[in-house]
Amino acid sequence: MTAAGTAGAGTPAAEFPRPVPVPDERSAPFWAAAASHVLTAARCARCRSLAIPPDQVCPHCDATDPEFVFEPVSGRGRIRSWTVVRQSFLPGFNAELPYLLVDVELDEQQELRMIGRLLDGPDSPVRLGTPVRVAFEDLADGVSVPAFVLAGDPDSTGGSDSTGGSDSTGGSDSTGGSDPREGA
Amino acid sequence: MSGRLTSSNKVAVVGYAHSVVQRHNPRPLGALTVDIVREAIADAGLTPAQVDGIVAATLFPSAGSHTVEDGVHTVTTNWLAERLGASPRYVAGFQGVGQVSGSVALAVNAIVSGAADYVVLYRSLHNPRGSYHASSTDAFGGPAQWTAPTGYFGPLAMIALPYNEYLQRYGATREAMAAVLVEARKNGARIPWSYWYGKPLTAEQYLAAPTLTDPICRYDCDIPVDGVAAFVLTSADRAVDGPNRPVYVSGYAHAVPKTNNRLPLHWPLDDIMTAGLDTARRLWESAGVKPGEVDLPQMYDGFSPFVWFWLESLGLCPVGEAHRFVQDGRIDSDRPDALPILSGGGALGNGRMHGIPQMLECYLQLAGRAGDRQRAKATLAVACQSSPHYGGAVVYSVDPF
Ligand SMILES: [Zn+2]
Repeated sequence: MTAAGTAGAGTPAAEFPRPVPVPDERSAPFWAAAASHVLTAARCARCRSLAIPPDQVCPHCDATDPEFVFEPVSGRGRIRSWTVVRQSFLPGFNAELPYLLVDVELDEQQELRMIGRLLDGPDSPVRLGTPVRVAFEDLADGVSVPAFVLAGDPDSTGGSDSTGGSDSTGGSDSTGGSDPREGA
Repeated sequence: MSGRLTSSNKVAVVGYAHSVVQRHNPRPLGALTVDIVREAIADAGLTPAQVDGIVAATLFPSAGSHTVEDGVHTVTTNWLAERLGASPRYVAGFQGVGQVSGSVALAVNAIVSGAADYVVLYRSLHNPRGSYHASSTDAFGGPAQWTAPTGYFGPLAMIALPYNEYLQRYGATREAMAAVLVEARKNGARIPWSYWYGKPLTAEQYLAAPTLTDPICRYDCDIPVDGVAAFVLTSADRAVDGPNRPVYVSGYAHAVPKTNNRLPLHWPLDDIMTAGLDTARRLWESAGVKPGEVDLPQMYDGFSPFVWFWLESLGLCPVGEAHRFVQDGRIDSDRPDALPILSGGGALGNGRMHGIPQMLECYLQLAGRAGDRQRAKATLAVACQSSPHYGGAVVYSVDPF
C-alpha cells in the first residue's frame, strides 16, 4: 500500500494480487478439487441434499452430524441475477474492472446458488435464466477459484440447453429438480 | 405462535436528543454520546441519577479494514454506563441487525418486567477516515473464503443482486427509483441537523450519476457519518408525568432469517420477501393493527431498494408493485392524499444513522414536536430498519389503545 515506486513497477495486478482463499478443515476438499478445475458441492449424509458452503448443521434437514462430503457437480446452471462491478473494495480486483458477477442456480438442486465472475466480459448478453457453466481462474500455483462462462460455447460439453423451460419470470421453479425442501 | 404483545402500549418514548449529522465530528464519539444521552434525559424532565436502564446496539457496519475501539468507533452500553452518572441496573446491547428496533424491544421488555423504570436508548455512528468498506486483505479464510476470492465482496454487490433480480422480474427500472431519492432528499433538505440540509436532489441528478455496482449508484447508498441520537423510554404510567406528550410503543417484530443455505451476504430476492412477509405479519399482530391504519410508515432506506422491499413486505402495496406505487406523487409528504413513507428523510436524506431517522420521525410527529414539518394527522406510525428479512420494525401510537 505504499505509494513510493509504483510508477512502472509492474502491473496493478502484481501490486495488488487477487485475494486467495485460505482453506480450512471443512473447505479443503472443495479448494483441492477447484485446483484441478472440478466444481464440487457438499452432500449431506443424512438427507442427501447439497450445500455450498457446508454448515455445521445441515441447512436442509438440520442434522448436527451431516458428514458432508464434497462431490463433483456438473457446473451447469442458470443466471438468477447479476451485476456489473465497476468499483471494487478489494484492490486485487482493480485490474479486472469492470466485471460481471452472476448469481447462478446450479442444475443439481433447486436454490443451490453460487456467485462468480462471468468471464465472457462485462457486456455479455445475460438475462434471467441464461445458461452458464463453471470455469476456473488460476490465481497462483495450486490455487484456482470458480467462475462462469456462457454455456453456448462451442467447446461446452453436451447440449447447450439441457434443462429447457423458460423461466423469464424468474420464478424459483426453473430446474424442476427432484430435490428436497429448501431452507428459507 | 404470535399475537398481540402483552406489552403493547405499556411503554412510551418520553424524550430525545440528536446531534448534528456530519461526515466527521471533531469531538470523540464517546464524549459526544454522553452529551447527547444527558440531553435526552433532560428533555424527558429527568436527571441521570433517575435513569436505571441503558440499551443500544453497537454494530460497526463496515466491511473494511478498520480497528474497532470502544468509545471511539462504537460506544457500548457498558462504556456509557461507566461514564453517564446514572444508576443502571439493566444494561444490554442488541446483537441483531435491526439495531434501533431491537434496542426498543430490549427497553420495552425491561420496563414492563420491572428490570428498569427509565431506560435510555441511543445509537452512535462513526465514519472512519479512509475508504469505508475497502479492505487490503489478500487472503480470506472463514466465511469470506467462499465469496471474496471470486469477486463477491462488500455491501454494494450484496444489495445489487436482489435489486437487479427485482428489476428483471418486475420490469422495473432505475428511473422508478428516482422518486424514492427525490422524496428522501427533499425531506432531508428541510432538517437542520441532516448532512443533506439544504441539499435536495433532482431526478436528473440521480440518473446522471454513474453506477458503481449496477444498478446501484452513490445516491442509492446512505452516506457514512458521525452522529448520535438518544431516546428515553418509561412505563405508560410514569410517561404522563413528563413534560412531553408520550408516544406509545404498540408492537415490534424482528426478522429471523434462515441463511445457512446461502453464501455469506447472499440475499436472493425470494429470501428477502419470504422472511420479510413473516416479519410484517408478526409486526401487525404484535400491535393489533392493520397496515391500512398506519398514517406515518417510515421505510428503511440505507440502500434505496429496501424501500420497495419494505413497502411490499408490510402490505402497503402488492408484491411487485412498489416501483409503481412510489410514482406520481403517491409518497410525496407534501400531498395530503399521499402516504408519507420518507417524511423524516430516512438514511438517504440524513446520513447513515441506521434506524434513527425513522424512529425520530415517528416520535417527533406523534409527540407533536416536528415544528415546521409537523403533519396535521399523525396517529399511528411504523419505523423500519435494515432489510425486511434481517432487521425489524416498531409500531408507535399517539394513543394507548
Ligand atoms: Zn441434511
